Amino acid sequence: MTSPKGFTLTNTNSCRLKFARRFLRSLMEIRRRQTNHNNLLSSSSSSSSSSSCLGDQIRKSSQRIKLAAYSSMAYAVGPRKAWARALLWKLKNRSSNRRRFVVRKTCLLGVKKKKKKRVHVNKVNYQSKGYERDNNFVEKTEKLRELVPGGKAMDICSLFEESAHFVKSLAMQVQVMQDISDQLSR
Amino acid sequence: MDPPLISESSFSAANPAAYSLAEIWPFGPEQLPGSGLRVANMGPNPAGFAETSANRDGSMEESTVTEQSAGGGGRKRRDVSPEDESSKMVSTSSANELNNTNGKRTKLVGSKYEIGGPKAEAEASSVAGDKPAEQATKPSEPPKQDYIHVRARRGQATDSHSLAERARREKISERMKILQDLVPGCNKVIGKALVLDEIINYIQSLQRQVEFLSMKLETVNSRMNLSPTIEGFPSKDLGVQAFDAAGLLFGLQAPPREYAQGSHPPEWLHMQVGGSFERPTWVEKAFVLLAECLGLSRHHCIGRGI
Repeated sequence: MTSPKGFTLTNTNSCRLKFARRFLRSLMEIRRRQTNHNNLLSSSSSSSSSSSCLGDQIRKSSQRIKLAAYSSMAYAVGPRKAWARALLWKLKNRSSNRRRFVVRKTCLLGVKKKKKKRVHVNKVNYQSKGYERDNNFVEKTEKLRELVPGGKAMDICSLFEESAHFVKSLAMQVQVMQDISDQLSR
Repeated sequence: MDPPLISESSFSAANPAAYSLAEIWPFGPEQLPGSGLRVANMGPNPAGFAETSANRDGSMEESTVTEQSAGGGGRKRRDVSPEDESSKMVSTSSANELNNTNGKRTKLVGSKYEIGGPKAEAEASSVAGDKPAEQATKPSEPPKQDYIHVRARRGQATDSHSLAERARREKISERMKILQDLVPGCNKVIGKALVLDEIINYIQSLQRQVEFLSMKLETVNSRMNLSPTIEGFPSKDLGVQAFDAAGLLFGLQAPPREYAQGSHPPEWLHMQVGGSFERPTWVEKAFVLLAECLGLSRHHCIGRGI
């Protein structure tokens, strides 16, 4: 009944619950901070919020919400899964180091990657058997590796397993966020 | 294979050492004389060595136990896998290095794919030539059959490397199947690379959706935000409690929409009633555009297979 790969039904529910709770709490936190900020702004200079400043602020706070969503997802899943650990690690490093904000952001989303490290390991793998000799397959696997957090250090079996779990959690996250936003915007 | 080294042999029931050996022996005692086994009884040996030399035809049996007394310790080899019999059948009279290479090979396979772990251990100990350790590991060997179910079918290679590779490939395709079941509209795609492509698309679309939703949430959040002066902003902990209750209800109910109608925290309503929007229109436009884009991509992703 408790299979090691993927989570069971009850587990999904508990994950969803944990994620929703955490995410809502961090939303509250973000809102509180923003009101404080706004109050400060309005008290200091009432006409300072130009459109560019507002856009920048919107971008920043949506970024913050996204990060909160990711981190609460990782916390909800727990440290059993390698991708959750990797995600939390990335987020932690990022928040501690503000200077590399942009670089980390691309890292988190898996948009841009350096591939120096994998090459050596993969050479050994590719030579082994014909299953991976298919070049297309290899390319796609590399791409998947970039998308799943922490996927660079996995072998192919665990990569697939982790990415299955990751896809499940992402779908859960999207659904929960959708519901929250529907709820809040009515 | 090799001639028995001890000439004097007796099967005395009074000797406990002989008893233990007879128990360990996988074949019944009635086979013992027929197969030419001799149990050597050295009497009360202070070192605890009861040396047995077995002479068996290895090609007929699936599992052979060959023990040879050499120097101070006995060396024991046990082969349980029928596939590897031809490659692993090492005559005990041969040199030690053959045994060593064989042990190394199985150890390598075991560490990589976790097949035959205890066997590698047993071989390592047999190389060292420590008899009590062997006897300790021996009873634990038969229930461990991890590598048995990786059977070679007719015409397939029986090399241990090929077996491990085949097991790995099966594992990979199984994981692939799981992934394929998770991604909607991925069942009808043929070809590993295409399936992977579909999975990658799905993950990317989900991530984009998260981004979009966070933007949407930001607007909602700040919309509630911009009207703190209308009616005094609710105390923080109260708000947190309301959110938590919402989260609880949300998680417990299967269709999460339902709680929206029933238990709506009143302060949200108030805040939304008094919400004043000073948002520039381009933001709204961008949202609409993004939503269209996302809807398209989602539709594309889900609707392709259906």
